Amino acid sequence: MKRSLFHITPSGRAGLITAALFIIFMPMIADSFWLSVFTSTGCFVLAIAGVAFMYSRLGMVSLAQVGLMGIGGWTMLRLNHGFDMPFEVNLILAATVTMLCGWLMALPVLRLRGLYLALVTLMAAGGLEIIFATFQFPNGGVGFWGVNTGSTGPFRRPALAESPEAYLRYVAIIATLGFLFIEAHRRLFPGRAWAMIRRSEAAAMAAGVNVTLYKTWAFGIAGLLAGVAGALLAGSLGILDGSTFKSSESIMIFALAVVGGARSWLGAIIAAALFRILPALLNSWGLDADLALVIFGAGLLHAVITAPNGIAGQIYDLLGRWRKDA
Amino acid sequence: MLEISDATVRFGGVVALDHVSATFSQPVSGIIGPNGAGKTTLMNVISGFVSAKGQVRMEGQDLMRLAPHRRAHWGLRRSFQKEEIANDLTVSENVMVQLDFRLGKAGAKQDDVARMLNFVGLADRADKSGDALNSFERRLTDVAKCMVGDPKLIMFDEPGGGLSVDETRHLGALIKSIHAETGAQILVIDHDVELISDICTETLVLDFGRRIAFGPTPEVLADPKVKAAYLGTEEIKP
Repeated sequence: MKRSLFHITPSGRAGLITAALFIIFMPMIADSFWLSVFTSTGCFVLAIAGVAFMYSRLGMVSLAQVGLMGIGGWTMLRLNHGFDMPFEVNLILAATVTMLCGWLMALPVLRLRGLYLALVTLMAAGGLEIIFATFQFPNGGVGFWGVNTGSTGPFRRPALAESPEAYLRYVAIIATLGFLFIEAHRRLFPGRAWAMIRRSEAAAMAAGVNVTLYKTWAFGIAGLLAGVAGALLAGSLGILDGSTFKSSESIMIFALAVVGGARSWLGAIIAAALFRILPALLNSWGLDADLALVIFGAGLLHAVITAPNGIAGQIYDLLGRWRKDA
Repeated sequence: MLEISDATVRFGGVVALDHVSATFSQPVSGIIGPNGAGKTTLMNVISGFVSAKGQVRMEGQDLMRLAPHRRAHWGLRRSFQKEEIANDLTVSENVMVQLDFRLGKAGAKQDDVARMLNFVGLADRADKSGDALNSFERRLTDVAKCMVGDPKLIMFDEPGGGLSVDETRHLGALIKSIHAETGAQILVIDHDVELISDICTETLVLDFGRRIAFGPTPEVLADPKVKAAYLGTEEIKP
């Protein structure tokens, strides 16, 4: 059992290689447009890791992840413009607030399963969408909502990462820590409890697992990651807009998590790349970015019909076959 | 000693258990009865999965007051008709789940897991993942899971289901030896009268949710009411 805590899985290797790529090379070669695209991709990798983990480990579908990101982003901006604390403190507070909001939303519905939990989270996402559209995000104005028309207050990035290049590295490192956090859970007692719950709730209870506690725990982790993702996104742009956090985007990242492969790091990275990098690529080729939606649809059909472990699963299968042939 | 008194369960208009009382005092006891007799319902009452009227007490503990997972913490173990082994965990992780609620040294818990896996004969499979096991090995993993963490009461719901005759015999011998190893009292539900008569000292017979016989297994199995319930015969008066 000691062996299983520290070994590196193929999925982990793929994740670490990607992280290294984004920490070392990408900041050197990307221009300011691509730096911003990659940074936002890094944020969504974290958020997608949250939904994907909840879906693959517990079979729970949350359709409010992007809405929760909005809460993280809102809190980050609010703290940034309201107080003089360092970025890291704001980040931790934003993540905690988001986690608590996630719990508040989820506690009454955690006894629900499958479709019902998904519907309730979707409704919460819809509610958040309206709140963000109505009250906007703080940008240095006065009062609780802190919205100023016209001018925008300054945003303090982390002292370690003021430049866009350094900030991309910063986001990539935090995303990696997020994955390690999930992975550590998976390999220790919460992971065992989740695996039992996924197998059968009755069997989990018979094994002494407090099912509600562990489901809440998982939801809390997903909320925490969404909060970090939203706060980092706020740090990337310095301002946020309600249109980023629509409920339809929550559905989209869940669908993409399935397309990419919900069980692995690589899956979350592929999903975030499809979500953020593909539209930017289409744009830079002079094509309509909405074409991405058509590709997502085809990808989803492909995943549902032929690839239960998503594109990532197919890549591992291919690599396995190639290694066997070699 | 497990005391069940007046256990009653209603599902809508159906009375699944009708004032069933029994005091199990032997190391290994059985519950038999035709399909739909209420055997699994009674086991679910003891586990806390269905709410019931009546009392279930053991060693001074009123089990009905505890949530299902708390009953497991207290020392209740059970297996299900279908073995419940998580495919993405290793064999020893599957067993370890049962001990995770305890605060204590990881080493001691791992020793307990290793000892019980050795007891059921799966020591060499401990690091295999759940989906690499055959159905008998999965069943044995379930047995090991029920044995860790100083259990007080272990219930097996149709442990022989889906197993070959030889495997069932092996499992029966194993179940019989659990009490000596752990000190736990054992309750076995099965259709297989041969298995029950082989391993259970006393047996409760249910039919249509009612207790129709209870006592030493050979006497119970010879009871005409029990035979009638199983074979569907009725006394025909001339």
